[in-house]
Amino acid sequence: MNSSVTIGRTTFANPVLAASGTFEFGLKFPAVANRLGGVVTKAITLQPRAGNPPPRIWEFPGGILNSVGLENPGLESFCSGMVPYTRKLKCRVVVNIAGFTADEYGELAARLNSEPVDALEVNVSCPNVREGGALFGQQPRVVEAITALVRNRTTKTIIIKLTANFVDPVETAKAAESAGADGVTLINTLFGLALDGNGRPFLGGRNGGMSGPALKPFALFCVDRVAAAVKIPIIGCGGVMSSGDALDFMSAGARMVQVGTASLVNPEAASDVWTGLSEYARKNRLTDWAQIVGRARRQG
Amino acid sequence: MRPAHCPVTAARELCAGVFSLWLDAPRIARQIHPGQFLNVKVSSGVDPLLRRPISVCDVERSRVRLVFRVVGRGTALLSRVRAGDDLDVLGPLGRPAPKMRGKDVLVCGGGIGTAPMLFLARRLVPMNRVQVLLGARSKNELLLVREFRALGVPVKIATDDGSAGYRGTVTELAAEQVKGQMSKVKGQDGGGRLAVSGERFTVFACGPKPMLADLVKRLDPIPVWGFVEERMGCGTGICYCCALPKKGGGHVRFCEDGPVVRLNEVVL
Repeated sequence: MNSSVTIGRTTFANPVLAASGTFEFGLKFPAVANRLGGVVTKAITLQPRAGNPPPRIWEFPGGILNSVGLENPGLESFCSGMVPYTRKLKCRVVVNIAGFTADEYGELAARLNSEPVDALEVNVSCPNVREGGALFGQQPRVVEAITALVRNRTTKTIIIKLTANFVDPVETAKAAESAGADGVTLINTLFGLALDGNGRPFLGGRNGGMSGPALKPFALFCVDRVAAAVKIPIIGCGGVMSSGDALDFMSAGARMVQVGTASLVNPEAASDVWTGLSEYARKNRLTDWAQIVGRARRQG
Repeated sequence: MRPAHCPVTAARELCAGVFSLWLDAPRIARQIHPGQFLNVKVSSGVDPLLRRPISVCDVERSRVRLVFRVVGRGTALLSRVRAGDDLDVLGPLGRPAPKMRGKDVLVCGGGIGTAPMLFLARRLVPMNRVQVLLGARSKNELLLVREFRALGVPVKIATDDGSAGYRGTVTELAAEQVKGQMSKVKGQDGGGRLAVSGERFTVFACGPKPMLADLVKRLDPIPVWGFVEERMGCGTGICYCCALPKKGGGHVRFCEDGPVVRLNEVVL
């Protein structure tokens, strides 16, 4: 079977991606990256960001909260210092971009249009910044405007990474679709707060973003719901730890999946998800991913 | 990098709440350097989800020793591991401590921070003049003293309550030791502080943050290499969750840039 998946102008060798913020720039484990459909980079902002003060991570049963706060080298350092290396990866490279104003997304998209990267994932859902971030993603009109702006400034594939924090992602996914997005990723981390036992917020950034296996049922619910409402491809994300989880997301309507928190526990996790998925396809004699994508709804 | 499943060959409690595990891990034993750590899975399921970073305390042929204190649920689970069990470990991780040759090296361990100093001292001894300073709250909490003495280098002890060795902190002991060295150097070449803070003298330390901060203050301007033992996410440099603020801005990711860092350059 042909295991590739096409979103917009980009064909990925298989449906498994490493999620943004959990695999750096794919350069720490290139052998793992090379086995995947692609790597989504850490979010890139126009200016370099030092990120939030520590502590930045908290654990709860079945998941973690992080408050990294978009630490990254900034657009220019990324283009000059990272892209020469990411371009050597054998998988697709999707650059996650985050702006603090709508115009910044446009600038990021325009600059990256001339770089040897494959696609952009537009982050309108970071929970760990005070301005922009998830606030953008909570407003369908803003999502529409940012998508249109990015669409205008790049010919590359654009994927909008949506939030499910206090918003129905069906509305924002439709907004993204109508403004020309090639696909949507859902869901980003959920808002969370950790206290230290003495009533003080534990994380240096105060609030955090929840991720890990505990999110999976809610993320599946979102994918299933959005899949019924839009035609553009969905990339499912939220608690994928195994190929079984990946199959669930595809059954709920995702064409691709992202492996995030699992990579923190085992850097080979995304590669293992692909191994398991390809074995499933072979054993069940699949001829097309369409046989499983969205089957949850076909089966009731 | 694949996690390895390593058989535990010995497990015992060294003193209240402090445990020692020997793992049969030939690849790791061959590859690992002082300063590096293993990221240990403490449950087979997703609770706790993350691995626990633990510095390697010692290496002997194909075996690797971990010594840790129970501080939370994860280390409590790890303390229940028995000889014959398998442990899922990822590593070696982190950047090795800088290699030294022909130096006067002061190795300071406080509390559970004593553990990684043993492997470090063992590797430093053949090429350097090493002195070891160990601190604990009281005599029964001192760790690995016999192993350090077996290295054949001077070992001095400090306890907060005076139940063994010097009564006071290991940082006070370190300051005295260094002052002695400084005056010697001054007498020899007249260089004073510069000679001491420069090439010849190196300090390594591991212990609680207040101890490390106090050590930096007392030994200033002598650079102190500290082993940072803090919460991490991945341990491999991909999540950016471990961060120590740098003086002058930005952060050190101590899973990858460390865990051995120049303490004078970070905000503790």
